[in-house]
Amino acid sequence: MNRNFALWEYLFIQYLKRDWKKIVFWIVGLGLFCGGFIPFFEEIAKGDGLLGMYETMQNPAMISIVGPTPISDPQAYTIGAMYSNEMLLFCGLFAFIISAMHVVGHTRREEDLGLQELIRSFRVGREANALAVMVETVLINLVLALFVCGLMVSFNLTGIDVTGSLLFGLSIAMLGIVGAVVGLLMAQVMSTSAGAIGGSIALLIVLYIVRATTDISNVSLSMMNPLGWGYLTYPFVENNWLPIVYALVFSIVGIFVAFVLESKRDMQDGYIPQFEGKAHASKRMLSVPGMFWRITRGTNIAWLIGFAVMGAAYGSVYADMQSFLNSNEMMQQMFTVQGISIEVSFTATIMFVVQGLAIILPIVMLNKLYNEERRGHLSQVYSTKVSRNQIYWSVIGIAICLSVFANLAGSFGLGGMAIASMSKSTMTFIDFIGAGFNYFAVFLFFIGLGGLCIGYAPKLGKLLYLYLGYSFMVSYFLNLLDLPEWVNQTSALNWMNRVPMESFNVSAFLIVGAIGIVMMILGAIGYHRRDLHEGV
Amino acid sequence: MDTVIKIDKLQKKFGKFEALKDVSFEVKKGEVVGFIGPNGAGKSTTIRVLLGILKRSGGSVEVFGKDAWDDEIEIHKRLSYVPGDVALWGNMTGGEIIDLFIKLHGGAKRNKRDELIKKFELDPKKKAKNYSKGNRQKVGLIAALSVDSDLYILDEPTSGLDPLMEAVFQEEIEQLKNEGKSILLSSHILSEVERLADRVVIIREGVVVEQGTLDEMRHLTRSNVILQTTGDLSVFKNMTGVYDFQQKGKELSFSIDHEHINDLLKVAATMPMDKFEIVPPTLEALFITHYENDEA
Repeated sequence: MNRNFALWEYLFIQYLKRDWKKIVFWIVGLGLFCGGFIPFFEEIAKGDGLLGMYETMQNPAMISIVGPTPISDPQAYTIGAMYSNEMLLFCGLFAFIISAMHVVGHTRREEDLGLQELIRSFRVGREANALAVMVETVLINLVLALFVCGLMVSFNLTGIDVTGSLLFGLSIAMLGIVGAVVGLLMAQVMSTSAGAIGGSIALLIVLYIVRATTDISNVSLSMMNPLGWGYLTYPFVENNWLPIVYALVFSIVGIFVAFVLESKRDMQDGYIPQFEGKAHASKRMLSVPGMFWRITRGTNIAWLIGFAVMGAAYGSVYADMQSFLNSNEMMQQMFTVQGISIEVSFTATIMFVVQGLAIILPIVMLNKLYNEERRGHLSQVYSTKVSRNQIYWSVIGIAICLSVFANLAGSFGLGGMAIASMSKSTMTFIDFIGAGFNYFAVFLFFIGLGGLCIGYAPKLGKLLYLYLGYSFMVSYFLNLLDLPEWVNQTSALNWMNRVPMESFNVSAFLIVGAIGIVMMILGAIGYHRRDLHEGV
Repeated sequence: MDTVIKIDKLQKKFGKFEALKDVSFEVKKGEVVGFIGPNGAGKSTTIRVLLGILKRSGGSVEVFGKDAWDDEIEIHKRLSYVPGDVALWGNMTGGEIIDLFIKLHGGAKRNKRDELIKKFELDPKKKAKNYSKGNRQKVGLIAALSVDSDLYILDEPTSGLDPLMEAVFQEEIEQLKNEGKSILLSSHILSEVERLADRVVIIREGVVVEQGTLDEMRHLTRSNVILQTTGDLSVFKNMTGVYDFQQKGKELSFSIDHEHINDLLKVAATMPMDKFEIVPPTLEALFITHYENDEA
């Protein structure tokens, strides 16, 4: 057994050296995000803030997004309780994604590149690389936990004690470690690194949505969900260490399974069979848009199905929500103020989540163009009579079509499932489609931004994800943090009214959409003029 | 121990696809073996099995008398490998990667690293992501040649190198050969194989179809003859063992089976010759003839 890990410790030290900049950025960046919002929460907690927030957090819509709190007495809702209630799940998600991507990037991806083949030609054990990367990732997460704990304690607030802070940090770290294990498992099962990352994130999304429903219907079921092992520790409230133990057991078993899977497969092979393709191109793909559709087809369809499933999963929450309210008269009164039903307010909140995620798809498409350019895949296309304009507008066109489908997939899933699961409803199916379509202008805006990037600074295309993530965060905190209005307006997702709670704002829709289209045209001009970056 | 690599009836399946059906050959100590075959014939698969990266489906594969899969680490201590497409970590410099590889191997020959960096004209301070294909290849070669190994497995090692660097590579390989090292060289540059290899193994569709020294192989095939004479040309046309007969004015060109060369010389000696050339087949010709024959 030891032979399989030969020289892992040397690789491990080498990897720390190689990655140290990334590691510092990872720990400080994520650490500040996880622990650094305390001053904001201190602001909110002033006066009756805690009570108000407690009520907000009882809303099933909020529970489905951030998770529950075990507190039944509003007076017991301390700042620590609020912080872990609102922040822990999200921080855990980030830790999960970053760790999974790190692990896949240094295992499966290096295998795909052929780097691991070279490493393995030395006196290095079969599992040495995987072990080195796992130890590295676990260590990073543990340091992150200590950093977060130290940061939180340093604010010196009553209600933020050392034990709770440590548990808060460790819960995040444990989700990071679980993410690393999931990444490692996916790296064995899938046959490409893109598949492994896609698989990890898809699984994460499924787990996230499943826990949304179980959090509302029956929290004890969430304890069986790996994501639950993070936020169900309830730091500062119950300080429950049991989920950490579950996560540890899962991780140890998972790593063991991954090692076995790895030792039983060939390098650069996976466990999902690959099928033979066609010898000839179908007529439909013999055009510029056809070509771009063909190379992105698999991911596009997977994303669209994902959005529909995500919508449907949230749609299934509506029934739980109704029974939840029917069982509690006080709550019922609380959430049906001003003639707005719980369904309507829930839809308005959840729709930005669904549509905000759906915007990822056109961004992926736009970045694909630059990726292909950079890798030199398009060299042979550029040298034909195909013009850059044709290429640019084909990609923009597909991105717009994908936006329509992604937008509808989310709304259909949400609306269809919601209507089907509710016994009586104040909303019609069209209300859902309308609430989703409201965000279509924002899709166009993001495509416009993407077009500008392609035309002038293609390297910045990746920042679109960052901006989308930022917009998502700002919109997410709209109800939670009392951010200044100008900060709220930096999120494109906040430019639209929250339909159906508020009315559809035609002028905002037209203006944002038009800005998007203008940016697309400007992008075309830039793309026509700039140097192509091949092999960069 | 005399035999360094011993492959016997090796088979490798990927699902239903049989990448290797019947591969058997040996590499003896101090021998350079050229391993050639068309794309997709199974060269790299064989090499990966040798390295213990792929697990064989059948047959036996021994390196230094040890099993290639079970004892890979023992084997790897005495082996150097260069793949045809050296992949590197983009954010490390070439120099750092070479040092890492040398350390992973277990120690370098003194000063060899710096000497090779100079010879191959590599800038070791550049980040690997800025290297061209040829420069990445140099990193792999320098790392592999800087260490002391008994066996060198080279899978199209010079792909992307310019002719000057290829010459440097050939020099290094000749030196290793003189030191009595064993080398398995897979390459499409057949002149390189011709120059360096003692023996050649030809693989096709997962089967070793031919192996032996170049001389042995040449005996199996024909040499090309070009001659110009004022004598009677038709004599040559009707000789046994003559093929591809072509006449252009007074110049003839044809190929002839090895065992009939003596007959040819006897006839030719009786005539006034303006020009007489016998060219042994190049490896390339061998290679092409072999496949044409096989396909027919």
